[in-house]
Amino acid sequence: MTGLSANPALSRVADRVQEDRRRSRYISGALTVALTIMVAWSVDVTVIQDTDWERIGSVANVWEATSHFIGLDLELFPDLLVPAIETLLIACLGTAFGLILCIPAAWFGAMNITPYPPITYPLARLMMTLSRSIHEIVWALFFVAVVGLGAMAGVLAIAVRSVGFIAKMTAEAIEDIDYGPVEAIRAVGGSNFQVIVYAILPQVLPQIVSVVIFEWEINIRRSAILGLVGAGGLGLVFFRQMNTFNYHGVTSVIVAILIIILLGEAISYFIRRRMI
Amino acid sequence: MAVLKVTDLHARYSAKGPEILKGISFEVEENDFFAIIGPSGAGKSTLIRCINRLVEPTSGSIVFDGQEVTTLRRVELRRLRRDIGMIFQEFNLVNRMSVMDNVLSGRLGYTSNLRTLFRAFPREDIDHALSLLDRVGLIDHVDKRADQLSGGQRQRVGIARALMQDPKLMLLDEPTSALDPKISREVMELIKEMAQELKVPCLCNIHDVKLATECCNKIIGLQDGVTMFSGLTGDMNEEKLGEIYAMEVL
Repeated sequence: MTGLSANPALSRVADRVQEDRRRSRYISGALTVALTIMVAWSVDVTVIQDTDWERIGSVANVWEATSHFIGLDLELFPDLLVPAIETLLIACLGTAFGLILCIPAAWFGAMNITPYPPITYPLARLMMTLSRSIHEIVWALFFVAVVGLGAMAGVLAIAVRSVGFIAKMTAEAIEDIDYGPVEAIRAVGGSNFQVIVYAILPQVLPQIVSVVIFEWEINIRRSAILGLVGAGGLGLVFFRQMNTFNYHGVTSVIVAILIIILLGEAISYFIRRRMI
Repeated sequence: MAVLKVTDLHARYSAKGPEILKGISFEVEENDFFAIIGPSGAGKSTLIRCINRLVEPTSGSIVFDGQEVTTLRRVELRRLRRDIGMIFQEFNLVNRMSVMDNVLSGRLGYTSNLRTLFRAFPREDIDHALSLLDRVGLIDHVDKRADQLSGGQRQRVGIARALMQDPKLMLLDEPTSALDPKISREVMELIKEMAQELKVPCLCNIHDVKLATECCNKIIGLQDGVTMFSGLTGDMNEEKLGEIYAMEVL
């Protein structure tokens, strides 16, 4: 290979390019080493030190424990019907109530229609963040403490947990609307309320419906586990089967949860397809 | 007597921003079809939006129907807007609503919030809307959604919506700019006919000077927020037009 010595300018560029490439190799090498150390340390702390190896025993023991769960407790299924329906209803009622809570949240949280920006906008954003950053189980624990055991706590937990996402998406849709109709409704002498109902709502309604169906589908999953903390539905049965060491019963509950989730997905798929 | 009297109107969008209108004065009388012409950015849209205060003027006076507009409070302003119909360049229809609902929205100023929520308009409003839709040639499209119509048809819905208000003045903001030349002429003629029929004076922003001279009896020419010409259409000539549009030639 001939060098670039004949062309000093090009040669300088070549030096710089080579230097840059060498530096980026060092950097990626250093990053790889750092990452490996971090992973090794994590595995040591969380898996090696934190696991009760004596209790796990041999590989055969692990397999035996797993095999407890293989098989269904068919006798349990009739008893799952009511909790399954309850789970679905918790999801439906929770989503509906959440939607009502979204009205003020989305109204205050859309910068272009919020009544008094310095106060109402941060308030709405706080509501949304609070709703989303606290896990549904934690919300359910809170509401079980407030209204006692049962489906009511589940409905409230789902509702409050749903506000964040629905309101955020709705508020963003409102911020993106076409202002033409707003101007037109103002020009005929319409009030702010009329502007919202006549010029804004029709524009964002398809997005709201789509988001609500999506959230409802997720809420079925959520309500299926809320029973673990005493908020009704299939989760409660799951918890009971686990406590009585009826492992086949546990599997039956998981199958039931799977069925209603698939049902929810199917329903949401058909509604979406009909809408579009 | 003048229906609308504008005196020394100034407007700017922000305290530090440029002044868009620099002291505009004119009068619109009954039976006037009053054109505002001028190049893009001259302040035509701002001027027309100051009349019903979709844009707040910074100073000056607007007297409409014997009432000072610039000092009105919110409720009074909404009452005033009921008497001023407006037609927009981009039609500004609610696309996802039916033609009927769009025309009925012209009555919102007279409709309670509860009725608005359920879109429960009284029978006479529906009758009125139907007769207007028949008049603008859309009686076969009553139940269609607004976004299913062509541009010319949408603007006819816009006309019907404005007339639904029984306005005492019509503001037309470039009503034909989004339409092709043939449809533009048809729409403009329809507006003019309806205005004469219902004896509503019109104040019209218009880009097409030829169309303006055909339809309007008075013209005000703006350039960069300043009045360059004001008078009867007959007094307008090429030289003055050149002056108004001088910025564009450059």
